Amino acid sequence: MTDDAYLNLRGIDAGYSRTRVLEGIDLSIGKGEFVALLGASGCGKTTLLRTIAGFALPSAGSIQVGDRDVTRLPPDKRGMAMVFQSYALWPHMTAARNIGYGLRLKGWRREAIAARVAEMEALLGLEGLGARKPSELSGGQRQRVALGRALAVDPDILLLDEPLSNLDARIRLTVRHEIRALQQRLGITTIHVTHDREEAMVMADRIVILDKGRIAQLGTPQAIYTRPASAFVAAFMGAENVVHLDAICSGQRVDIAAGPLFRAASLLLDQPAPASGRLEARFRSERLHLRRLDEISPEDGNAIELIGRVEAVVYPGGEWRHTVRIGDGSVLVDGTEALPPGTEVIVRVPTNGLFLFASPVDAPTGTPPSATDEPSPVRERLTA
Amino acid sequence: MARLLGPLLVSPALIIILLLFMLPLAASVIGAFEVEAAYGLGNFTKAYDFSTQDIVFTAVIVGLSALLTGLLAIAIGGYLTLGENPTAVAILRWLYRWPMFIPFIVVGQILRTFLAKSGLLNSTLIALGLIDPLSATSYLDWRGVVIAFVWKQTPFVALMVAGAMASLDRGTIEAARNLGASRLRILVEIIVPQVTTTLLVGLVLSFVTMMGVLSVPLMINAQAPTMITADIAFRLSTYRDYGVANALGLISLAISGVAAWFYLRVNMRQGR
Repeated sequence: MTDDAYLNLRGIDAGYSRTRVLEGIDLSIGKGEFVALLGASGCGKTTLLRTIAGFALPSAGSIQVGDRDVTRLPPDKRGMAMVFQSYALWPHMTAARNIGYGLRLKGWRREAIAARVAEMEALLGLEGLGARKPSELSGGQRQRVALGRALAVDPDILLLDEPLSNLDARIRLTVRHEIRALQQRLGITTIHVTHDREEAMVMADRIVILDKGRIAQLGTPQAIYTRPASAFVAAFMGAENVVHLDAICSGQRVDIAAGPLFRAASLLLDQPAPASGRLEARFRSERLHLRRLDEISPEDGNAIELIGRVEAVVYPGGEWRHTVRIGDGSVLVDGTEALPPGTEVIVRVPTNGLFLFASPVDAPTGTPPSATDEPSPVRERLTA
Repeated sequence: MARLLGPLLVSPALIIILLLFMLPLAASVIGAFEVEAAYGLGNFTKAYDFSTQDIVFTAVIVGLSALLTGLLAIAIGGYLTLGENPTAVAILRWLYRWPMFIPFIVVGQILRTFLAKSGLLNSTLIALGLIDPLSATSYLDWRGVVIAFVWKQTPFVALMVAGAMASLDRGTIEAARNLGASRLRILVEIIVPQVTTTLLVGLVLSFVTMMGVLSVPLMINAQAPTMITADIAFRLSTYRDYGVANALGLISLAISGVAAWFYLRVNMRQGR
């Protein structure tokens, strides 16, 4: 997207007095693109949005819209309109006056404002609600008024600061799609801040994952989901099961020696493997294979197999979710069939759902190598 | 036993209110209608004859002071909320409250020397060449009273208003800035409408306070027309004319009542 980049951030640093909230943010967003800024609270995503909007000034770096440098321009001179998390509707004005206020500031004539407001109300399904005060509207309606107020001035870029977090869960799902459809229809460049992974996935063309004021990864929802660049991103994208293991890697090949907690395996990844040594293996609870320890699996070896015991099993809907204790830790594993607690099991994690990263230095030791002299039927080598 | 305990605990406060407040109030109200051992409106006609001018003067002076106080409080609160120079905001925040801690009588004293014909204000203006020494006049008339009231009451109202402004959703201000509203427009169109109730409470309380001030009119405006409080004091101390004094008191209560009624009406409309 860098070729036809419309909004360009270069080396943005920002912060309050001593704490630096953003460090060296480089980001290019194409015209008409929908980008989600995703991260946990305190990662700097809202600060980044406010810096783009002009409510906070960066201490270093530049912001360009088209070929215009807007780094030092006031918020209203940037061609951007923002929808606030609290909606920030003016309680003393009717919905129609809220929507039309930006046009009044631009000195539009009354009839022109009324026409534009009616257009916005029709676009957002707010017909007949124009005369109501915000306190007389539901959460979803308020959210649409806030959106209408931002869109009425026909901005080049729409900024959304967690616009769905104040809606209840059911409405949120439909509003996601409404906003996305509207954005597609208008073709407006949009930046959306959220801490909700799924929301970012279903709404955005590209996702920017922020961690401690830096971009941890930038890519399409699919790329980030299937190829997380770091353990942080993998965890954030739902691969919260983690085990530590020792491996010998070369090229795309990873060899894992058998241990008390897993069988030996030889994997062939579709991307370069990390350096040999202690690895952090992460995987989601879905698309795993769970079977009793004594069951023979006919599947090929391109997977790691963990040995553990079912601790608990619950039914959250869809599949059974097992808590499986593996050594000192435990992982969550979904399976079509419920295995009772206490069952000795093997958790099979196929390579396409396995993310391997070099272990941080202070990682817990999952498998003491000295324990290899213990005779066990699971010690047999499972190489393909 | 337990049922008696509640009323018993309340009784000291209740008795004090009844004896020291309700009883004298009732006595004053009754006294206002007492004309030589009979009841009638004699005291009111007398009060009207003696002090019509003063009643109007009081209402206008206090009303004008409240209006100016409101404008200044909005200006101060607005700058504290929207000011972009942190140092200036900090200085203003530190400075503006001081007059609140100075009693009215001291305010009168200070302004007497400040506003007199040869006072500090005139000498400064003359020294700056802004006015000619011969045209210097004393401000110790209705203007002095208004200045004293506004100077003393603004911090109180500003404190309330600035508090209300600070607790507004900052987003409502930023949303307006985002759409291109100037700071003045944000203040007038976005902030003030959201703090109207607080502003009115402050102004009504100030209005009632100013209605009851005796020291300022006595010290600054020792001439006719003057304020009702001065008339009441004069009636009591010189003539021992309790009837007319009570009637005047009731009239100032009625004027305060109008302010309170106005506040209640606006408050009800806001609540709806």
